[in-house]
Amino acid sequence: MTYAPPEENTLGVIVGGRPRHAKSATGRRLTGDDTPRLRSLGTGYVGVGAAVLVSLRAIYGLVWLVTQWDLYPNPIPAAAAWLLLVVVIAGTITAIQLMSSQLPHWMFALFLTGLASVVALDVYAIWSLDNIGEYATSAIAAGMTLLLVLTVRPSTDIIVAVSVIGAALAVVIAVNVPLTPANFAPQITALSFAVLPTVIGLVLISNFRRLVQGELDRVLAQSTLTAPRFAVGMMASGELARLDLAAEKLLDSLANGSTKLPLSPKIASTAASLATELRLHLIEGRRATWLYHAITESDLLGKSVTLTDKGSLAGLLDPVQRDGLLSTAWLFVVDTAKRGVKNSVHIMIAPSTTAVAPGFEDKVAIGISVTSTGVIRNRIDASTWQAIAKVGSYTDSTEDSSVRLDIECLVDNPADQ
Amino acid sequence: MQTLPHMDLIAKERDRVLQRTARVASMSFLTVSVICLSLPGAVHTMTLLLCFPLYLIIAVMQFQVGRSRSLGWVVPAFVAGIVAILLIAGTPGGPSQAGLSAAAQLASASLACLAIVLTTTLTRRLVLLASFIGVAGITVVALEPFQKAIPTLGLLTVGWILTALIGFWISSGVPQAVRRIASIGRAHRAERQASEIEAQRRQGARLLHDTVLATLTLLAHSGVGVSADAMRQQAGDDARLLRQLRLGATPTPQASGDYSLSTPVSETVLGTTLESVKQRFGRMGLEVRWHGTGQVLLPSDVLDAFLLALAECLENVRRHSGVTDAHVTITEDDTTVRAMITDSGVGFVLDDVDSASLGFKESVVARLKEVGGQARLFSTPGSGTTVVLEVPR
Repeated sequence: MTYAPPEENTLGVIVGGRPRHAKSATGRRLTGDDTPRLRSLGTGYVGVGAAVLVSLRAIYGLVWLVTQWDLYPNPIPAAAAWLLLVVVIAGTITAIQLMSSQLPHWMFALFLTGLASVVALDVYAIWSLDNIGEYATSAIAAGMTLLLVLTVRPSTDIIVAVSVIGAALAVVIAVNVPLTPANFAPQITALSFAVLPTVIGLVLISNFRRLVQGELDRVLAQSTLTAPRFAVGMMASGELARLDLAAEKLLDSLANGSTKLPLSPKIASTAASLATELRLHLIEGRRATWLYHAITESDLLGKSVTLTDKGSLAGLLDPVQRDGLLSTAWLFVVDTAKRGVKNSVHIMIAPSTTAVAPGFEDKVAIGISVTSTGVIRNRIDASTWQAIAKVGSYTDSTEDSSVRLDIECLVDNPADQ
Repeated sequence: MQTLPHMDLIAKERDRVLQRTARVASMSFLTVSVICLSLPGAVHTMTLLLCFPLYLIIAVMQFQVGRSRSLGWVVPAFVAGIVAILLIAGTPGGPSQAGLSAAAQLASASLACLAIVLTTTLTRRLVLLASFIGVAGITVVALEPFQKAIPTLGLLTVGWILTALIGFWISSGVPQAVRRIASIGRAHRAERQASEIEAQRRQGARLLHDTVLATLTLLAHSGVGVSADAMRQQAGDDARLLRQLRLGATPTPQASGDYSLSTPVSETVLGTTLESVKQRFGRMGLEVRWHGTGQVLLPSDVLDAFLLALAECLENVRRHSGVTDAHVTITEDDTTVRAMITDSGVGFVLDDVDSASLGFKESVVARLKEVGGQARLFSTPGSGTTVVLEVPR
């Protein structure tokens, strides 16, 4: 075996300030957009809702078809359009139920072809009536049918598809209908009912996905609440294992003679950096606390929360206090930001100078100050205050656009443990 | 304990989804309605001018619904909507088809979309019911002279039921998603604990990492002063130890070159492990001479720290002293085991040398401190260096 130097340098993980996102495999796997797992995290449920909605809309449209039956010069294409639409809806719902992941491209293409045919047939059926907006039925319902694939195709696909349907209908209306103020309203109404449901659906699903991702991020950060006083973080063991393996390979290649002595400068420098990294990783985790890991592992907190905790005092907090502190930071970041203002939260933990109240002599007091800029004092709501109260007794003050909380937190004396 | 999702936080998140959806939906249909209303001849110009401020009020309310949970934004929107519908119906000469479309878009779509945020609590559902009765009743009655009551009511009912269903559906979908996410959180916590234990196991294999690090450092200096054969043998030994570590054991280097898996004995004989350090440095060209006691029993963590510090000092001698032999004297009393590492090399002025550059502070002092020990360093240029390491028994 010839020794190949490791491709990655892991030093960035602990030297040079803020580590890169140290997120677990689970976290990475689950927070990617449009992954199959996100479907099972509730968007699948939303998809079922969309199916129900589309079906209801189809029934409503069919009622219209029946009431208009006598008005059609030739009702056969209109009926055929409806038949096709029902087949497309039923087929898509079945396919989505059977498929555990995204709809494949060819199936999506088939779906779109089906919808295009529906629109074409319906428009053909009512062409001679010269009032698309008034008489179109399945063509309008076809626009809403895009809701079916909302959860199984990337949003961009749907945006393009709904735009094409909207534009096509607009062109058809412009060509076919002699527009007057009297017949303009039905055209607008028809167009909006074809396009808007899908647009609203897109807004809904993106908000829902944001909720799921935010919640996932929060839950992953919460896993630090029960960590010991000092912890190494999710990536530490993996990094160590990788370094150990890289060292093993290098040493092995030397032992079996496939790497010749004296070493080439390149391999010598690899050995040097392996030694340095290994040294750093072996002493890692002596000073890092759960809070440090919670912040660095979270996409959301990592961007706006900074921590000063020279004495690693955060490690002394019990799980309830930790939960309160984490929720406080969370709510400050998520909840109280002014629109367009990037808010930042700074948490500083230091020994407290105030005397411990009588009856708590076995405890020590630490002072936690949370300074948050870009936060409006009166938008901090009850749940945030509750979270803060879990940490300890607090005072709050406001200056300029920043809110400062000073929390007095009683913890078990580490000397007693 | 922390596996329970925070229901108030989740309710807030859920409401945010509902609010934003309601905002976009209601405002888009409001736009369609105002376009229809503005078509020439839809309503009398006076009516149009009176309706504009009402539409503006509705728009502001609907925008605010997107960011606030308060019902205070919802109810005024309904009131303004009802007034607008009455104005449209009462326009001089009656509304045209476009005016009726505007009223329909407003009552059955735009206002109906506010139902999305009115499904989560009993109070809200009651408000929803009252609003529907108010809006639908007044719309049907006011527009009755221009269109039949039943289709108007039908359209209104369909619009409001659909939007309310969307609200209910999302409200029930969110807790489902949250439960699944919470179970992922539990799995993640287990993963974190496993990772922590694995990291501790690897970090705990200090003696092993110490010899590996020493070898790697040698290699980094292209193995200066060490024969290729010795280097190769050392590398092979270390690779074997690392393989054992990878396969799940915690191997401890032994004197004779065969390796035993560590057994959970609390005390280890110092002598045999000292011998392995001696052999290792021997291969690298530093002759280590032992003096004093060879049979000291120490708790394994203390022993680890002691040996690591000792090896680190010897490595410094090898690299910096310029001599090829060092003396280690081990002494013990009731409370302390002491090692004195002496060389007759170049020595140095203590103040001139950044102790960190020797790795002294981190690798020697810190390690000993962790087990309650200490280290002292004596040196003068030209008369060698002495390090005294002490650990408690």
